[in-house]
Amino acid sequence: MPYYLITCRSLTYAQRTARVLERVGIRARVQRAPASVAEEGCGYCVRLAERDLKQAVQQLSAAELPVRHIYAVQPDGSLREVFL
Amino acid sequence: MIYLDSAATTLQKPPEVFRAVACAMHRATTPGRGGHRAAQLAAELAFRCREQACQLFGMNDPEQVVFTMNATHALNLAIHSVVRPGDTVIVSGFEHNAVTRPLAALDGVTVRVAQGALFQPRTLLCQMERLLEQGAQAVVCTHVSNVFGYILPMDEIARLCRRAGVPLIVDASQSAGCVPVDMSRWQAAFVAMPGHKGLYGPQGTGLLLCGGPTRPLLFGGTGSHSRESTMPDFLPDRLEAGTHNIPGIAGLLAGLRFVQRVGVERIGAHEQRLIRLMVRRLERIPGVQVFAAPEDSGLQSGVLSLRLRARECEQVAEELGRLGFAVRAGMHCAPAAHRTAGTLDTGTVRLSVSAFTTEQEVLAACRALARMAEK
Repeated sequence: MPYYLITCRSLTYAQRTARVLERVGIRARVQRAPASVAEEGCGYCVRLAERDLKQAVQQLSAAELPVRHIYAVQPDGSLREVFL
Repeated sequence: MIYLDSAATTLQKPPEVFRAVACAMHRATTPGRGGHRAAQLAAELAFRCREQACQLFGMNDPEQVVFTMNATHALNLAIHSVVRPGDTVIVSGFEHNAVTRPLAALDGVTVRVAQGALFQPRTLLCQMERLLEQGAQAVVCTHVSNVFGYILPMDEIARLCRRAGVPLIVDASQSAGCVPVDMSRWQAAFVAMPGHKGLYGPQGTGLLLCGGPTRPLLFGGTGSHSRESTMPDFLPDRLEAGTHNIPGIAGLLAGLRFVQRVGVERIGAHEQRLIRLMVRRLERIPGVQVFAAPEDSGLQSGVLSLRLRARECEQVAEELGRLGFAVRAGMHCAPAAHRTAGTLDTGTVRLSVSAFTTEQEVLAACRALARMAEK
């Protein structure tokens, strides 16, 4: 199953993002960002299931936590940036 | 030993603090440095600690909570962020050296003292207002005097600063955990506090609550923006270079939870009641001078300074120590407060309590002081 990664500027920002989503029942996992998407080197991201993406973005917007980049992770592991 | 030096460091801690420290040492490493389980646990502990601090101190953004080594470190960061060489800074007459020395270390900073006698908040506010009208770039003010337990009128001071558009740095070293500290109400630029006093965390921990622009004092790895040679421009990473004190943070989290569970107001009321009890006992003993706020004024926290006629303070503390009481004597690193209160030449003996101090303990100290005063 493909899943999504929301990249975050810092670990704490990723944790904050995940907390907002968990509070509304969206499963969100903080993990290190793949090197190919960690623009400035060493980054963190929040992993989401495909079905939760739209609601997650709405919730983050409502919480005034801007989303920088979203990547879809394909079954073969490749990454594709998603624009909503 | 009867411990009455909680204004320096609380010795008795909730048992969960010790467990949390030990557990973190066994299982957690450092946040932001790896994706493995030990790093994730460290990250979760740090984040929960930030969240808990937000809940306790009226904030809603955990990123604005910065871990420091102690309140002195936090105050240095705050002062370094706000004050520039040549600035004018207003302070109260009760500041600790953790405020006065960083200010003195900055080139050409003019420090103006808003004088107001001990337990006289109206005069302090009038002075503060007058000095603000004359112009200043910052106000740095203690919330509670570490020498006399005097609770300064911080709501009003914050209001004056907001009205004048002057950033406020609050030293909450003696208030955090026993007097309400509310960032959202004060809209302070910074609030600095230690973890090892009224928050019942381990030594080597502190918090800086940030409400304004920051400048780092320490530069190094943050686990973020690693390709850049400059510090990140976002909190908390900007002010948290190097490996975190995760065992300390885990203990601080347990301490914060304890304070939240018991309640700041309840802890404060307990401590104030013990101090009033001591004041009532001690002020009727000839030869004992207590520095006490008027009854029911709500102006004194769990700290009491006193002097014994014809006895040096250090001598009194030493004798109390021999009798099994841990107290502190001298300047308490706050000569400014002694200057204001007229005790600069002698210092004072300070007795300070915590949530764990009992009535029996303070009464025992009163009896010991009464016997010493008779000699």
